[in-house]
Amino acid sequence: MDGRTSVALACAAAGGLWALGASAVLGGRLRQRRRRGHIAAGAEHPIVPPTAVPAAPALAAREHLLAGLRSDAPDVRRACVVALGRLADRHEWAVDGLIEALAERLDMPARVAAELDRIAPRADMRLLSLLGHPNGTVRYYTARLLAREEGGRGFVPRLVLDPSPHVRVAALQALATAPSPLSLAHALRLLRDPDARVRAQACRTSAAICPAAAGPLVVWLLDDESWEVRNAAHGALVAAGDGAAEVVLPLLDRDDGHAGSLAALVLQDTGYVDDLLADGRDPRLLERIFAAGGERLRALAAERARSRPREREAVS
Amino acid sequence: VSVELLLEVCVLACMAYLGLLYLAYAAQLVVAFVESRRLRAERNVDRASAAPGSRFCPPVSVIVPAFNEAGGLSDAVRSLLELDYPSFEVVVVDDGSTDGTCERLTAEFELVPADALSRTVVFSKPVRGLYRSRRDPRLLVVSKENGGKADALNAGLNYCRYGLVCGVDADMVFSRDALTTAVRPFVADPARVVGLTSALETAADPYAALEEGVRYRLPETSPLILFQTLDYLRAFYNNRIAWARLGYMLCAAGAFQVWRRDLLEELGGWSPDFSCEDIELTFRVHKTLRELGRPYRVVCLPEPVGVTEGPNTLRKLVAQRERWQRVILETCWANRELLLDRRYGAVGLFGMPFYFLSEVIAPVFELLALGTLVAGAAFGLMDWWLYALVVLLVSLLNGALSVAALLMHEHQTRAYGTRGLLALMAVMPLELVAYRPFMSWARVKGTWRFLRGDKGWHKFERNVRTEAA
Repeated sequence: MDGRTSVALACAAAGGLWALGASAVLGGRLRQRRRRGHIAAGAEHPIVPPTAVPAAPALAAREHLLAGLRSDAPDVRRACVVALGRLADRHEWAVDGLIEALAERLDMPARVAAELDRIAPRADMRLLSLLGHPNGTVRYYTARLLAREEGGRGFVPRLVLDPSPHVRVAALQALATAPSPLSLAHALRLLRDPDARVRAQACRTSAAICPAAAGPLVVWLLDDESWEVRNAAHGALVAAGDGAAEVVLPLLDRDDGHAGSLAALVLQDTGYVDDLLADGRDPRLLERIFAAGGERLRALAAERARSRPREREAVS
Repeated sequence: VSVELLLEVCVLACMAYLGLLYLAYAAQLVVAFVESRRLRAERNVDRASAAPGSRFCPPVSVIVPAFNEAGGLSDAVRSLLELDYPSFEVVVVDDGSTDGTCERLTAEFELVPADALSRTVVFSKPVRGLYRSRRDPRLLVVSKENGGKADALNAGLNYCRYGLVCGVDADMVFSRDALTTAVRPFVADPARVVGLTSALETAADPYAALEEGVRYRLPETSPLILFQTLDYLRAFYNNRIAWARLGYMLCAAGAFQVWRRDLLEELGGWSPDFSCEDIELTFRVHKTLRELGRPYRVVCLPEPVGVTEGPNTLRKLVAQRERWQRVILETCWANRELLLDRRYGAVGLFGMPFYFLSEVIAPVFELLALGTLVAGAAFGLMDWWLYALVVLLVSLLNGALSVAALLMHEHQTRAYGTRGLLALMAVMPLELVAYRPFMSWARVKGTWRFLRGDKGWHKFERNVRTEAA
């Protein structure tokens, strides 16, 4: 066989592959067209249910899915969780299956929690037993799930003393949705937690429960070693509004760490700087704020002051 | 006789190169097909699941670096703020634009100058100003001195608050579920997934091509856009999906890349020492994590997350591809110790050799083939029939690869209208003669500029877009 013949044969093979692929593409479209009547551009494939289990007898489905949760294949476990989530709308055993998955299969807790979240509050009473689970991840998701509903929230405060920082964070998130003096007390206690994530969440929770009261109590965290905590303390003080000014003003002259610059930032974000600029009543204080906040804070305040008359004109 | 022998050797070398290249493509295609089907099944499960978009999804910081993007940046930001994801922020970094990019954003999103909390975890050029949107507090605009895309991304990183960081291009328009789609692997495998990219569509006017972030109007029927669409299809479906499966996903596209912030900080952010930042960062992630022996995955998803702007003139396209070639060469050269080194696993044994074969030495063989053709014609040694058959063979092989990519795309989404689909299939065999020569020229140009040490971005003018309503 000479060169031309072999290349021609290769061409025929490549052409055949191309034609095969093209017919597969067009065939797919035609099959869709027959199924649906027509195909609109941008239409998606129909969603195939994860399993055909919902149509199967409940007992068989239960056995298959609970066995599937123990499968070695992550794809199978994932499909079983989704199927249980769907079935949990109608079957209590599916809710139990999800709780079992949360307690025992620790490789996809967020996925299981999302399914349990969707059917809340049906699982709440059964979830309570997981608050004492030895694994911190399980307790974390349990706390977050329970925090959603009024009935479950009452059990959450005891988790503020949990050894896992994740669980303490979840407990604080829950407290933020159930404001009470006791919740505030719990949150304030955790402002001194050794874990930065917990301190940050404690700031956020305190501000959510009572911004005015939280402001003076979180101000010292503006100098925390963790950026996340400083960010949360700044947020809590901004939430405190006008009341934050007198709390942060003494920090302006501190040039160690972050407290001075963050105090200036709080004064900017609460509108205090703009008010001072507009009134012109205390240029020395303004200068102290700019000295603490840096040249950029000064330049941006000036830029805002310049644009304000234009805005007023536009409004009028 | 010696000229004839020399030409014969050249022809054999080119044919051997082609054979090796198409074998590598074919092997990857098989893997990509299997993986694409698996990912489709996984996506179908996820669509039935309550997990995507639930309150258990991690919040994401999106960084949009922009230099002279006044024309399209508003479209990109608007589409980002309309994402259906529960918790995210958008940090736009204006990298010293001179075309009024910042002013346009100020007008559209009612930006107010205001300093913001930051921490310098990576170095960047000085920040000039910060602007927060009054309309949407999730939007922060950082205005800084010009320092290039990597520098802008680093500046944005210093202002990010969340644990996942998504770097995107300013010329893109995103589908509503872009982040919901992208975060899925991070939720499914939080211990190992460190980075992700996803398939993209291309159009001359992304805003018109993705109506309301939901309905695709693709592909546009301009031949240049059709050819680019085929390029993207092959790059994502034939290559990246297989690379991700085989453990050497070597390019998280700069247009849409999601990384864990702790990893970015550990690596010192994006490197401004290269012409382009995306490939280099991906290589560095592999290199570092392989050296540290940590288990990790860099993922590529087959679902399109948005539409990126494809250059609508040949000149702009060549400028873009020339830069891509340059950065590939820079990155491969900087990481040459990975090549065939067993310590780097699949990256060293398969990924790097494939990059060398398909990208680094390609211009050498392209020039060799051209030289052989000219010399053969000049000396009257050409078998024109055989030459025509070889051209036909390569065209059909390219067509077969393209149609395979299109088939995988069809399995994932029906983003293309039937007319566009037919147009795509019609242009497939023409690619070799109507499109590849320009890409070869871009590669030769890029190689030449790399050898000269050129590291400029050489930004070309953006396409004219339809005004948003």
